Order: sequence, then C-alpha cells, then structure tokens
Amino acid sequence: MSPAARKWIRITFAGPGAVVVALTVMAGMALWLPGGAAGVDNLVIPLVLAPLIWAGLFFHACLDPRLGRIAVVALGLFTVHTGLLTHSLLDPVSAMEIQR
Amino acid sequence: MIRLPRQETKLMVAIHGWSGIVLGLLLYAVVLTGMTAVFAKEINTWSSGHVAQKSAFERPIDDSLQALAARTPAEFHEAVDVFEIADGNLGLFFHLHEAAPSGEVIERGVYYEVDSAGDVVREKRGIGEEVFGPSNDDALSHFLIDTHVQLHVPEPWGLLLTGILGLAMLVAAVSGLLIHRHLFKDIFTLRRKASPVLVNRDRHSVAGTWSLPFAFILAFTGSFFSFYGTVGVPIVAMAAFGGDEQAFDDAVSVKPEKPDSRPHLTGTVNQIIADARARTGALPTFVLVERFGRADAQVTTYQDPEPGSIEPLTLVYNGATGAYERTTPSIGAKPSLGGTLTAIMEPLHFGNFAGVASKAVWYGLGFAMCYVTLTGLRLWLVRRRESIPTLAWLERAVTVIGFGLPLALLTAAVGFLCAVPLGSAVVWTPAAFLIGSAISIVAGVALPTHALLVTVHKFAIGGLLLGLPLIRLATGGPGWTSALMARQPMIVAIDIALILSGVWLLIRMITAQRSDNTAPVSLQPAE
Repeated sequence: MSPAARKWIRITFAGPGAVVVALTVMAGMALWLPGGAAGVDNLVIPLVLAPLIWAGLFFHACLDPRLGRIAVVALGLFTVHTGLLTHSLLDPVSAMEIQR
Repeated sequence: MIRLPRQETKLMVAIHGWSGIVLGLLLYAVVLTGMTAVFAKEINTWSSGHVAQKSAFERPIDDSLQALAARTPAEFHEAVDVFEIADGNLGLFFHLHEAAPSGEVIERGVYYEVDSAGDVVREKRGIGEEVFGPSNDDALSHFLIDTHVQLHVPEPWGLLLTGILGLAMLVAAVSGLLIHRHLFKDIFTLRRKASPVLVNRDRHSVAGTWSLPFAFILAFTGSFFSFYGTVGVPIVAMAAFGGDEQAFDDAVSVKPEKPDSRPHLTGTVNQIIADARARTGALPTFVLVERFGRADAQVTTYQDPEPGSIEPLTLVYNGATGAYERTTPSIGAKPSLGGTLTAIMEPLHFGNFAGVASKAVWYGLGFAMCYVTLTGLRLWLVRRRESIPTLAWLERAVTVIGFGLPLALLTAAVGFLCAVPLGSAVVWTPAAFLIGSAISIVAGVALPTHALLVTVHKFAIGGLLLGLPLIRLATGGPGWTSALMARQPMIVAIDIALILSGVWLLIRMITAQRSDNTAPVSLQPAE
C-alpha cells in the first residue's frame, strides 16, 4: 500500500471514523452495561465516557504503527455495537429483557 | 520521560500545533470567558449596584408560592423550580414537561421574579430557554455565561461548537504531554537569559505542563456538558427507549411509588428549607417542587457538597407533610457509579466545590490555560513567519483576539454599569462588547506596527481595570463601607483585584517602555 493511501486511511479512522465509532459505542453501551444499584449506570456512563472513547480512538488511529490493528479495533467496536443496536431496534422486547 | 518514535512525535507536534491554530482563537474565547464565569455569581453581586442583606432562601417563600400558584394555570403545577437570582430576588418557574417536535423534552410554563418585598417584578410565559433570558440586574454575568457556553451561536450549534472546542482542547492537552521528551525536566526549565523565542517556549511549556491535568479535566467535563443534551441523550434514548427522551428522563429521576392526585395544599417549603439547612449546614442552591398542590407532592433541595466532598447533595422531602425522606444522588434513586460520575462533572468543571478558594484556583488555572493558548499560537507563528510572510495578518488577528477580547469584556462591564440605572443593561452590555471589539479590530487594521497594537491594547486594558471600580461607584454602586456593613466583602475584593491588576499591568508597560524592552510582545525569528 502506498504511503499516501496509508495516510488517508489513518486520517479516515482518526477523523470521521473516530466520531462515528464513538457515537455507536455510546449508543450500544446502553444495551450491555449493567444498570447498577440505581438502574441508571447503563444510561449515564456512556454519556460520561463518550469524549474519552473518542479521544482513545483518535490517538490510537494516530499513534498505532499497524493500520490493521487500528482497523480491527475500530471496525470491531463498530460491528459489535451496531449489531446490538440493530437487534434492539428489530426486537425491542427481548432487548429490554437483556438489559434487565 | 515519554519516548515516542520520531515519526509519531512529529505527528503529535503537528496535531498539537494544528489543533491549536485551527480552533485556538475560539478556544481562547471559551476559556477566557469560562475563567471569568467561575466568579459569575460574585461578579453579579459586584455589578448589580445594590446589596441584598439576605439570601432569597432565608425569607419566607410559601406565601409567594401559594399566591403565584393561584394565578398560574393548573397544568403548569407539574413542577416548580425555585432559585435565587440577582440581588437576592427569587425566581419561580411553574412548568410542565413536553416533547418538542424534535423529540427533546422541554419545559413550558410561567416564570416569575419576586423581589425581597414579595412583589412580582417580572412575569414571562414560554419555554425554559425563552424565560431564563438576562434581566437588567444580571445582564453582565448572563452575557459572560452565554459567551462561554455557546459563543452566542443559536442552539444546538453553539453547544456543538463548544463541545468540539472541548475535544480540541483534549487533543492539545494529550498531544502536548506526549511531545515532551523530558517531562520532569521541562516543567522546571525557565531560561530567562535565552533568546526571546526560547523564553516564550519555556514559559508556554511550563505553564502548559503544570496546568495539563486541569486542561484535561476542563476539556473532558466541558465537552460532556456540551454534548450531553445535544447528542448524548438523544442517542442513548434512541438505543434504550426507541427515541423517547421523556422515558430517559423518567428512568434517571425518582418518581413516587404510588401516584396520588388528590389535592393537598403545599405549604411546607419554608420548613423544608430550614430542615435542609440544619442537616447540611447550608442553604439550598436550588429547590424543586414536583406535583405542586397534590397529596403526592415532592420537594427536592439541591445542596453544595459538604466539606471534604465534591459530590453535591440532594435531599428529598414529602411535599405534603414536609417530612424528610432521604438523601439521594443527583441521578437515580440510589448511589451508583453512573450517578456519582455525573454528579461530580459540575463541581469539577465550575470549581465550586470548596467555595471561593477552589474558584480562585480554577480561575488561576484558567488564566494559565489562556496564557498557554496564546503563547502556543505565537510560537506556531514565529516558526513560520520567515517562510510564510503572509501570516502577518494572523499575527495581528491573534493579538486582536488575545488582547481585544479582555478589552471588549471590560467595555461590556462599563456598558453594563452605565446602563443598569437606566434599566437598559440587557441591550447595552452586548452592545458595549461589540463596540469594544470594533475598536480593537479597527486598531488591529489601522495601527502601523504590531508592537504599537499590543501597547495600545495593554494600556487600554490597564486603564479600564483601574477605572471600573470608579465607574461602579459613580453609577450608584455601594461604597466599601456599605458593602462591608451588608456583609458583601466580595464587592470590595473584586474592586481591589481590579485595581491591583490594572496597576500591575500599567507598571509593567511603563517599565517596558522605559527600558524599550518589547521582547515579550515582539515575534522573533524561529530558533
């Protein structure tokens, strides 16, 4: 792969990629995080962590020398959380059961 | 010691520089106004022109609450926000919750402002953001907060913009840490006799490194606040409740176990405030009465953190009987990790967890952040001025914003002080800010040299700092004796701070002029 292509892939993961994956993870976390004693952890912890998740993805995309690892982490998180969200939207009743 | 490979270090330097240069001037505006807004309450007391002897929560509230409820449509009795506003007046917002066309939950109702004599001085109907606009007495602090929160850009774009600036600050802070090869050596290195560029770089590095944890906290909490309602809640509500934001609100708040809509006159707020004060040692900062006039009414008092803690307290009472029920977290019915994390965001961002002392620390660190942002921009420009001469306009823009913004904020304060007695402070505060900004911009274009531009701005800022206490007195503000008699030492403290800052700046300028030493303000060739 040419250096220019590698650069643009890295920019894509660090720029729009980090934003999209962070928002998807924030939404998906609400479905797998336990609610905690007050039943609110799954709702508010993703909101608190969202800027840090974005920053983590951004710096990982900038600093990891292996593009493959950047792609695996970002696309892996995106795929898992998109799957959870899709399941929740298609079958909200069983998704609520899982949350409980 | 941090050792990144050469290529990654170069990338971090580029990210650090470009995150600053692209958004640095806007970030500077947000940090400067945020640093000032830390003392918004105190500035409000200082500038409002008259001193309140008592907090609004020390006066009987029930009579006002009952009288206003009688003239307010019952649909708005769903909840009543009660809080103190400028000069000890009481703000009461009777409202209901409804979904906006966008799905966002909004509050609609009638807002009253009641003075210390119990008279209604202001009444307004509408949704939250319409009724909580500035009033004549608090136009200055309101202006500062609005500038900091959303740069006067309409919602939600202003919040999104400041949220993005918060993320840029996060990037600048982390990349700034990563590019230090010798972190512990760098934070103690100030070469005073080196070239001006090295002196400026050392100062930038030292101020930036010492304030790094603070920059990280501010950036993180600031972007949390900006994105919470604009992006976060809609997305999480979409995931967990199919987009129903009211369901999200219901899930994170405490609802009565058994709704009871039988009428029951609520006359317990005075008793509840007294009890909350006895339990926590302080008056509430905010009181929420839910289901006003019903048998299942609930009153919640919000208290500042207790000494040694940074988590605010929330006390819940039975609204019908006034009986204390429990102390709860701000979010959720029981203590939880998520509730605690969310609750400490506010004190961490505002620095109000230990009174004036923590606010002063936050102010000082905010000042350091402003210094770091400006010196960072200047260093970036110095390194490129030789190779890109056309960047001279950016050098002037940095100076116009760097010094013009504090100048414009001071002219806004002058406009406010002059307009308060005329009742037109809401108009003249932003107008004076614009006038100050325009003067600064014209100076930036018209003055022949950059050094002269800096000098003129500094003299103007120094003069205004010295003049503000005099203008406050001349426009009917209380003198030091009457302020101290009314137990408002903050008025005297702010006057003294302004005078000392003005004297310090002018002495520095005069000394610099005499020794013809303009090195700190002139840009030198890159090292």
